[in-house]
Amino acid sequence: MTEQNEKEIGRRQFLLRAGKAGISIAAAGAVSYLLYDNTGPRAGNEAEDLVTLPDFSVPQQAGKTMSVIEGPDRIETVNKAIRALGGIQRFVKPGETIAIKPNVAFASPPFLSATANPQLVAEVVRLCLVEGKAKSVIVTDNPINDPASCFTLSGIGKAADDAGAKVILPKDYLFEPTTLEGGRLIVNWPVFFGPFEKVDKIIGISPIKDHARSGASMTMKNWYGLLGGRRNIFHQDINTIIAELAMMVKPTMVILDGTQVMMTNGPTGGSTSDLRRANTMIAGCDMVAADSYGCGLLDLTVSDLPYLAKAEAAGAGTTDYKSLKPIFDKTG
Amino acid sequence: MRIITVRRISQVFFFSMFLWFGIVSTIGQNPWQVRGWPVNWFLQLDPLVAIGTILTTHTLYRGLAWALATVVLTIIFGRFFCSWVCPFGSIHHFVGFWGNRKKKTAQKIQLNKYRNAQRIKYFILIFFLVMAAFPSLAATLQTGLLDPIPLVTRSFNLVLLPIVDKPINFVSVAGRFYEGVWLVFVMFLAAILLNLAIPRFYCRFICPLGALFAVISRFAIWRIGKKQKDCIDCKLCERACEGGCEPSGNIKIGECVLCFNCLDECKDELVSYQRQPSLSGETPPDVSRRGFVLSLATGAFALPAVRLANKLGSNWYHKVIRPPGALAEEQFLKRCIKCGQCMRICPTNVIQPAGVEGGLEGLWTPTLNNRIGSSGCQLNCVACGQVCPTAAIRPITLAEKHGLDEFAKAGPIKLGTAFFDRNKCLPWAMDKPCIVCQENCPVSPKAIYTQECFNTIRDGVLTVKNTKGNLIETEEEILSPGKFATGDYYCAAGDDLRWKITANTENSIEILPDEKFTKIPPEGSKIEVQVRLQRPFVDIEKCIGCGVCEHECPVSGKKAVRVTAEGETRSADRALLLRG
Amino acid sequence: MSSVSHRARKLESAVSVCIMLVLCLIGLGVFIKQLDSDIGRFGLVTASSTSPAETGISQNAETALNELAPSGFKVLSKPEFYDTEKLYEKINGKAPLYTEAGFVKLSTQRFVSSSDDTLMMELYVFDMAEAKNAFSVYSVQKRAEGKALSGMKFAYKTSNGVYLAHGKYYAELVGYAESDQLLKAMEQVAEKISENFEVDEDGEIAELAFFDEEGLVENSFRLYLANAFGFEGLSNIITARYDVEGQRITAFLGRCSNKQDAKTVSESYYKFLIDNGATAIEPVNKILEGKIVDFYGSTEIVSTAGPFIVGIHEADEQGPAEKLAAKLIEKLGQIKGD
Repeated sequence: MTEQNEKEIGRRQFLLRAGKAGISIAAAGAVSYLLYDNTGPRAGNEAEDLVTLPDFSVPQQAGKTMSVIEGPDRIETVNKAIRALGGIQRFVKPGETIAIKPNVAFASPPFLSATANPQLVAEVVRLCLVEGKAKSVIVTDNPINDPASCFTLSGIGKAADDAGAKVILPKDYLFEPTTLEGGRLIVNWPVFFGPFEKVDKIIGISPIKDHARSGASMTMKNWYGLLGGRRNIFHQDINTIIAELAMMVKPTMVILDGTQVMMTNGPTGGSTSDLRRANTMIAGCDMVAADSYGCGLLDLTVSDLPYLAKAEAAGAGTTDYKSLKPIFDKTG
Repeated sequence: MRIITVRRISQVFFFSMFLWFGIVSTIGQNPWQVRGWPVNWFLQLDPLVAIGTILTTHTLYRGLAWALATVVLTIIFGRFFCSWVCPFGSIHHFVGFWGNRKKKTAQKIQLNKYRNAQRIKYFILIFFLVMAAFPSLAATLQTGLLDPIPLVTRSFNLVLLPIVDKPINFVSVAGRFYEGVWLVFVMFLAAILLNLAIPRFYCRFICPLGALFAVISRFAIWRIGKKQKDCIDCKLCERACEGGCEPSGNIKIGECVLCFNCLDECKDELVSYQRQPSLSGETPPDVSRRGFVLSLATGAFALPAVRLANKLGSNWYHKVIRPPGALAEEQFLKRCIKCGQCMRICPTNVIQPAGVEGGLEGLWTPTLNNRIGSSGCQLNCVACGQVCPTAAIRPITLAEKHGLDEFAKAGPIKLGTAFFDRNKCLPWAMDKPCIVCQENCPVSPKAIYTQECFNTIRDGVLTVKNTKGNLIETEEEILSPGKFATGDYYCAAGDDLRWKITANTENSIEILPDEKFTKIPPEGSKIEVQVRLQRPFVDIEKCIGCGVCEHECPVSGKKAVRVTAEGETRSADRALLLRG
Repeated sequence: MSSVSHRARKLESAVSVCIMLVLCLIGLGVFIKQLDSDIGRFGLVTASSTSPAETGISQNAETALNELAPSGFKVLSKPEFYDTEKLYEKINGKAPLYTEAGFVKLSTQRFVSSSDDTLMMELYVFDMAEAKNAFSVYSVQKRAEGKALSGMKFAYKTSNGVYLAHGKYYAELVGYAESDQLLKAMEQVAEKISENFEVDEDGEIAELAFFDEEGLVENSFRLYLANAFGFEGLSNIITARYDVEGQRITAFLGRCSNKQDAKTVSESYYKFLIDNGATAIEPVNKILEGKIVDFYGSTEIVSTAGPFIVGIHEADEQGPAEKLAAKLIEKLGQIKGD
């Protein structure tokens, strides 16, 4: 009897084992089939790894694409500039997450105007949170100098924090490779993508500055801060890279601060004698138009800045800002 | 026919096939050259290679699908690979047998006892697999270090075959050289010699592939076992037990390598290959939880520890030049199994095993050393990519290598860039004419171009004594007779007068006159003997980093033109120029 | 082995034999795999096979050449191809003759008899870009002792060679031995070229038909692409030899772009003759007034007919020269248009 039992137990155990063996074989077969790759790897990153920045722009409204407000007080001028375009509610919907990308490129104090003005940044944050009823606002940039020092010395870190925004410093894992469609330079290049992955709108804030290499640094050059890797190599073809940046980033709005214009020795400046008070605030949805107007404040013309024509040719906007019927006004 | 006879035949069969594949890995059409021989078959059958690359790349690349056959057979039959197929195992088997054959039976049985240290190979396996399973880019494939098939392939390709071939020059006209392979040799020798201490030492204690097989064969349909519980306990079955699994009692079934020696030895025929577990007990492979966690943690920390050196970032090592078609470094390290096949097939012997300067992970990965071999990376060769079993070096076509047809936009593949060391280059630093580099540059138009310049030689300012026809006699008698007749030397008088020197004695110069010689240098005036130099420059847009210039440079120690990996097309962040 | 269960032994043997069979199959599989030898995938294309991209020759051209092998002969070596730069390497000083006549490409091939390896021939196929160029180099090099070959428009043979012009191709077959068998084989090759090499219809040389047939010496046409009779202005001139009243006279004609052009060329050639010592003479036939000279004893006539320039060269006697000239002019006058 026990022998019979033993045999049965033995058989059951065997079937169990055979079953497990069968499942293992099936699993091995399935894995091999699903993961089978006959072509092998391609040079460079696979297309799925590449990211693309979405289009953050809002629908156009004729006559409300650009505003130019004159006045000595940035808070007043920026409020008036945005109101002229339809108010912050046109751009920020309640519950949205907004990303503000100011120029924080250098560890330079605000009075030298090499970076965006901290009070201006704080005011825009406030507008988004309080009037626009955004859920949250992040303020971020990938500076040239050490990020922590830049955000501190420029005052933008504290100002943003005080206004209720979250400051995001660049970290390795926040960069992802991207390829710009139609781009020649931005091919499989790391961009500072992480902070922008889950936001609804992007606003760029930049001062008007002279730039030794590109002629000027205004709204489009501001997006250089989104590039990672050894981005200085693009200085070999500075006008093309700026045009490609304009193709890559389609912001909701750009604010171009011409209150204090860095006329010489840009982009770092270093002396107040480099600055000229122009008391102008420009806001708009067309970066090419904004820069085209702004270059006048640097005593330059559109033809002095080859990147403007390139960006226009690439469809990023128009250099003929007059055709947009910008709203001119004053404060006080 | 006894089963162990077939097993021996099988070992000889596969070992010979392994040797044969190694020998025929030479480019050519003859039957003893590569032709269509499936020289990567052993590497493709190896499930550790397949599983490793599945973990690192989430794909099963092409030929590695052969591993599925091995896995399925192992699931059904058990760990047959180790004693029926594995060439490394066969070596250990033989040396273990030969080295211990004179020992007494009791000693042999003692040597084949199961030892706890046999669990080490499982830790090694876990250690490697953890590093391979790291999320996305951080993963690395280091199984090749101890995986027996890449190991034995590497040892054969880089050490054994070159040594044997050197005097007979059968596979290679000039004899092959591989730098730094003393370590490969030491490792191979150590593994073999350890068999004299305990047979199949490597297989029992170290081999991660064996550990993998042990795990896979858990549910094997057939296994070695005893037909009855009790026997006379003579332990003759363990006299020649290869796996160290103790079949006489509770058999450690994970260690059994199916050598069938026990079955053959048992005089009472109590050992059989059967469906039910051994009646005297069977223990599956078992790793203690502590050991499992420890090896997991070690692997999990070892990789980031190694990566602290930032060798994959800005601290990358410029002298590691990867073969054409190699993936970008992070992707490359996820696929390279350090088998040495690319080094074996390279017709110019320029692909060498790297050391650790490029990072620990780079040990024994391929890098180019242009000083070794016959000519740098040949323009019209894509052999390395064709032979790489895991596509760490992609199988590119010549069109892709040269940037033709559909690859014209991407341009040719650059391995790096040549840089002139103007302190060593003969025309730059020594006033000696030489353009061997430019002559040998294989691309068209050439990536090396020259600029002409005339330099007055040392003690080259002379005073004219008189001139007769096209002979200028000098006051000084210091010229080396005939030295300036090579066609590279000129006689200059003033800024705009210069004639080629065709002959000279110690105090006279014969020149090739032209219409300017109507302005014959007057007596007492100064002339200068000048050397015409063609000073080479690299056009970095055209240089593909093939290294032929470096190879040919006559400054034979530290070459006056050296290729380093800046500008290699496989890495966007190492570009010298904006591309596009 | 003491007490052996017969069955167990049998099973063991059976399994062993099965495994042996598997090993044999594996060995066979490996052997078959290595026969698939696509060595080209490693690169390192050997020197003898220049890539098609370099020479602009398609695989078709190579096979086309190989297929020209006559019966009983086989291909001896791979075809060689030469462009204008490399032509010198093959035919040395003769190269300018071709390169100045519009040469594009030379393909050569050797055939040898399968039965007798002393019977070897080398084929040269010159691609001259245009039929008139090919005809020019063909006609200008025509050996006097050559015998015309039937069945082909422009072909002749000598004791060890066969020569033909076919559309834009000029082909020469050089035999390495004097042998009738070899010669016959070479004729076969010439015929194959004539049949198989496609040429433009427009490549026909229309002007050949404009010569009056009476007294025309067969196969005596020559086409001079430039510098006919030593005069730069005379291009694309076809000459033909006539047997008139026992005299050998050379007539010539050439098509110019238009009537005016023909007149200009004709007048400058006339002046050239005068400048070089010719004396104007009175013609019997008045239409040749001012177009006929005596050049150191031989008569030269140069006239026009529509867009054609036409004349007589080196005629011993004036009379027959004039007659022939008049006939030609009349015939050309009848040609419509252009």
